[in-house]
Amino acid sequence: MGAYAKNVRDTAKSFWEGMSITLSYMFRKPITTQYPDRVGVPVRDTIPARYRGFLEVDMDICTACLACERACPIAVINIDVVKGDGKTRPKLNMERFDIDIGKCMYCGLCVEPCPTGAIQHTREFEGAVMHFDNLTLRFVPDPTNPIPAYKVPKGSDAFPRRPLGEITRKLIKAWDAPPPPFPSMEEAAKAKEHGAPKEGGLDPSAMGRQLAAKALSVKEDKPKLQKVLEEAMAGTDCGDCGYPDCFGYSNAIAQGKDTATDKCAPGGADSKAMLETILVTLKTGAVPAPATPAAGAVPAPATPAAAASPAPPAEAKPEAPAAPEAPASPPPAQDEIPLGTKPPPK
Amino acid sequence: MQDFIDNLIRSWGHDPAAWPWTQFLYLAFMGAAAFIVVNFAAISAGIFSWAERRVAARMQSRVGPNRVGPFGFLQWVADAVKLLLKEDLVPAEADAVLFRAAPYFMMVGFACVFVCLPFSHKLIVADLNIGIFYILAVTALIVVGIIMSGWSSNSKWSLFGAIRSAAQIISYEIPAGMALMIPVLLAGTLSTQGIIRAQGGWPWQWFIFDNPAAFAAFFIYFISALAEGNRTPFDLPEAESELVSGYNTEYSGMRFSYFFLVEWGNMWVMSAIATTMFLGGWQLPGLSPARFDALTGGVAVIAEIASLALFAFKTLFFVFVVMWLRWTLPRIRVDQMMNMCWKYLVPASFAGALFVAAWMLLVHEAPWLGQAMRFALTAIAAVTVAAFALRTLKNLRDTGDKFDFTSNW
Ligand code: SF4
Ligand code: SF4
Repeated sequence: MGAYAKNVRDTAKSFWEGMSITLSYMFRKPITTQYPDRVGVPVRDTIPARYRGFLEVDMDICTACLACERACPIAVINIDVVKGDGKTRPKLNMERFDIDIGKCMYCGLCVEPCPTGAIQHTREFEGAVMHFDNLTLRFVPDPTNPIPAYKVPKGSDAFPRRPLGEITRKLIKAWDAPPPPFPSMEEAAKAKEHGAPKEGGLDPSAMGRQLAAKALSVKEDKPKLQKVLEEAMAGTDCGDCGYPDCFGYSNAIAQGKDTATDKCAPGGADSKAMLETILVTLKTGAVPAPATPAAGAVPAPATPAAAASPAPPAEAKPEAPAAPEAPASPPPAQDEIPLGTKPPPK
Repeated sequence: MQDFIDNLIRSWGHDPAAWPWTQFLYLAFMGAAAFIVVNFAAISAGIFSWAERRVAARMQSRVGPNRVGPFGFLQWVADAVKLLLKEDLVPAEADAVLFRAAPYFMMVGFACVFVCLPFSHKLIVADLNIGIFYILAVTALIVVGIIMSGWSSNSKWSLFGAIRSAAQIISYEIPAGMALMIPVLLAGTLSTQGIIRAQGGWPWQWFIFDNPAAFAAFFIYFISALAEGNRTPFDLPEAESELVSGYNTEYSGMRFSYFFLVEWGNMWVMSAIATTMFLGGWQLPGLSPARFDALTGGVAVIAEIASLALFAFKTLFFVFVVMWLRWTLPRIRVDQMMNMCWKYLVPASFAGALFVAAWMLLVHEAPWLGQAMRFALTAIAAVTVAAFALRTLKNLRDTGDKFDFTSNW
């Protein structure tokens, strides 16, 4: 009976307490805040500093080293680099720097290798848009107006970066923004020329011979030779070659410690070709003559003859002509001729 | 209402008995009254659906729907539009005719109740002399609708839900009916307006404080009404964790919304019955029904509106209590629910009816006893309410919070 009475008392008491507690909550201010319009400060400012939101590239300090493009496992970043000769045109120009944040998985792998910290995660996260294409952030707004690469001052380890988020915030479109226009036929045709050599652009074979001649003249002066070699590299100090900077790599070649020519990733095929020309020249002591009248010109009618005519020392033959050809390779490469099933057009 | 129309016809200079259009006028007024009442039921159910969500939200320290219209008040309109536009699916294996008809049975059973529900001194569709009996009878139609929907859905969850619901509603009809017999005994009439008139405007004149048995009967009725309306803690027919959604599992769109319309509309019905039977209905303090009848002109209109407001206030308070209970109590088990009904509420309600019969004889002999009991019960209730308010305030203060009802709506 005692237990029974106790149960009854407990029931009454728990009702009393429970009802008064719920009622008391009725008269309190709700603790939830309402996103997005009733928050005191923008939500992005309240999330942790190392939050991995949309990416941002500060083009002012981007060295065009392409390290981020190469690091991305799912090809989110697309950078188009046009090379200049370093005189009438800057050595490296970026015509395009697109990051498709709709595809990005926010892994942060692209941020790690960036030598200057140009690419960073911001705390931006609100990017709902009606058109998927609007999710591509174009850090080079106008391809006809390329942005020159940043040249890292020697020895600097801090770079002037704009406040994080400022750039990306401007690039995020309104949710109902119309999609970017679909390219017209003319634009598409023009786009074919994209990346093709332009005025003041780099002629890697000519530059390679130029550098080779210079290198020959300073053959014994290692520091000067290093300078010449470094000119053949992209000069972004990206460190992709395994050396801390372009100096490291070029010095190693100059000292004869490294013979690989394909380590400069930002320089790509151009750098490789130039370095090869220089190395061959140093070995043979003679600058190879231009292999073809102009790289990428008309079908190169007399290719076998052209290959034979320069008559450099015999041992250079296998590589030297191939070297200046490498970058722009519409005409068949030399060594393909004997193997080709079709005879070269007459 | 017939009197009202007859008077209207007389004022036009015709004799209602002989005038050929009398019957048509009756019909027109009936149609208008039905239209108004059904719309009142539907709109109040909609508003309660919003209110319930806001109350629930605040009790859980949330904000609740507040985007559509001021304070989110138009949320229920948006929901209704959405539900009306949804596809009306009938499961392939269902009994299509019964499946389609079931929601209408529920609606009819629910809307018919409003015929006898008073709103104010004069505002009532029809003051039947068997009012409360009629209400108890037509609410049974809801069970028919529930069983139909559960059976015709051809789904085990629906059937379980329907059977639980039928068992629950039929069981709790008994204590609810017996508890309602106590005010009937006290008033000596079944008419809802008559029962209100037998009470008074002051709390100690209400039937709830008339004697201990009537006091208990109020709670018996309230608990049973919760169970009949499938409200928490008796929402077993819709127990989401066991039955998906109970008897309405297979429904969608408009038909689904009918079930919820009935559920929320029932909150008004159960609260209005409690107000009518136990809490003095529309009686204004200090204005006896006889003097109310005698009022004329502008004063009568003001008194009418005041009585309407008072009735609505009392009813809405109980609607709030129903919501408040829902967000406080957990759902009970089926066996506990049945135990409570048959072992406690049924015997208690019968005992109460007997007690009241004896009490009335006693009070007839010694009227001072009745008065003393009324004041004593009122005083006890007032003290309890005050203690509860203090306790609530203490709970609020104990956590270092402030009383803040107005911010963040
Ligand atoms: S965060 Fe990861 S997925 Fe996104 S661009 Fe960078 S590397 Fe690619
Ligand atoms: S400097 Fe940074 S952002 Fe620019 S290409 Fe290199 S890794 Fe990418």
